[in-house]
Amino acid sequence: MKRYFAYSAILALVWCFVHGTVSINNFIVGLIIAPFVIRPFKTLYPFNLDFSFSNAVKKIPAQIKYLYVLVVEIIKANIMVAKIVLQPKIDIKPGIIAVPIDSKTDIGITAIANTITLTPGTLTIDVSEDRQVLYVHAIDATDPEGVAQSIKDDLEKYTMEAFE
Amino acid sequence: MILDILSNIVLVIGLFFVFLAMLGLARLPDVYNRLHATTKIGTLGAFGVMLSILLKVGFSAMGVKALTVALFILVTSPVAAHMISRAAHRHGVGLCKESVIDEYGKACDAACPVPKEDTIQE
Repeated sequence: MKRYFAYSAILALVWCFVHGTVSINNFIVGLIIAPFVIRPFKTLYPFNLDFSFSNAVKKIPAQIKYLYVLVVEIIKANIMVAKIVLQPKIDIKPGIIAVPIDSKTDIGITAIANTITLTPGTLTIDVSEDRQVLYVHAIDATDPEGVAQSIKDDLEKYTMEAFE
Repeated sequence: MILDILSNIVLVIGLFFVFLAMLGLARLPDVYNRLHATTKIGTLGAFGVMLSILLKVGFSAMGVKALTVALFILVTSPVAAHMISRAAHRHGVGLCKESVIDEYGKACDAACPVPKEDTIQE
C-alpha cells in the first residue's frame, strides 16, 4: 500500500509536468489516476524489492556524474555520425558484435543498453537469454575486442555506480 | 534579448542535426546503419528544438511541456531503435555487404539451427 502511494506520487509529478503547471490541483488529479495506471502493469514496478531511502540519496552524486558523461557522449556521437553522413563517399565497416556485461539487475541492464545506443558508433540490438551478453551493432566493427573494452571502461563503470 | 538570440542559435543547431539525420536515412546502406543516424542525431535535434522553446518562453506551461517531451524522447528513442533492429534481424533482414562480422546471427543459429541462406544481401 505504501509502495502504491510512492509510485502514485511519482506518476502524479510526471502528470504535473505533462500538463505544464505544477499545482496542488493537478497533483491530486494525478494521484487519483495513477493507481489505475499502475495496477495493470504491476509486474513492471518493483513491488517486492526492498528500497531504502538513504541508499537512493547516496547514489545521487554518481547519477549526476553519469548524466554528465551521457551528455558528452551524445554530443560526440552526433559529431561522429554527422562526419560519416557528410563524407562524399560512405566508407564504413559495420557489424554485430557480442559484448559481455557485468550488470545483473533489470535497471542496470536497461541503463547500459540505452547508454550504448546513445553513444558513438554503437547500437544495442538484443540481450542474450542468460543476460550476460549484449549484441551491439557497431559502425566500425574491425576491432571487436576494442569496442567491448571501451564500453566496459567508459560506460559500464558509471552505470554500475549510478543504478546498481 | 540574449535569451532570444540563444534560443535561435539552439534552434538552428537542432534543425541542422535533424537535417543530417534525414540525410543519413537516405544515404547509409542498411536498416541498422540508418538507425544509427536517426536515433543519435534525432535525439540531439529534437532536444535542440525543445531547448529552444524552453529558452524562448521560459518556465511557463509550454516550456515545461517542451522539457518533458525532450526527456521522454531521450528515454524512449533508444528503446524504439532496439525494438526495430531486433525485429528486423529476427525477420531475416540481412546486413549490408560491407559488414565484417555478425555474432548475433551466429548466436541465433546456434540457438535454433534451421537451414538458412546467406544473410548478407547482394
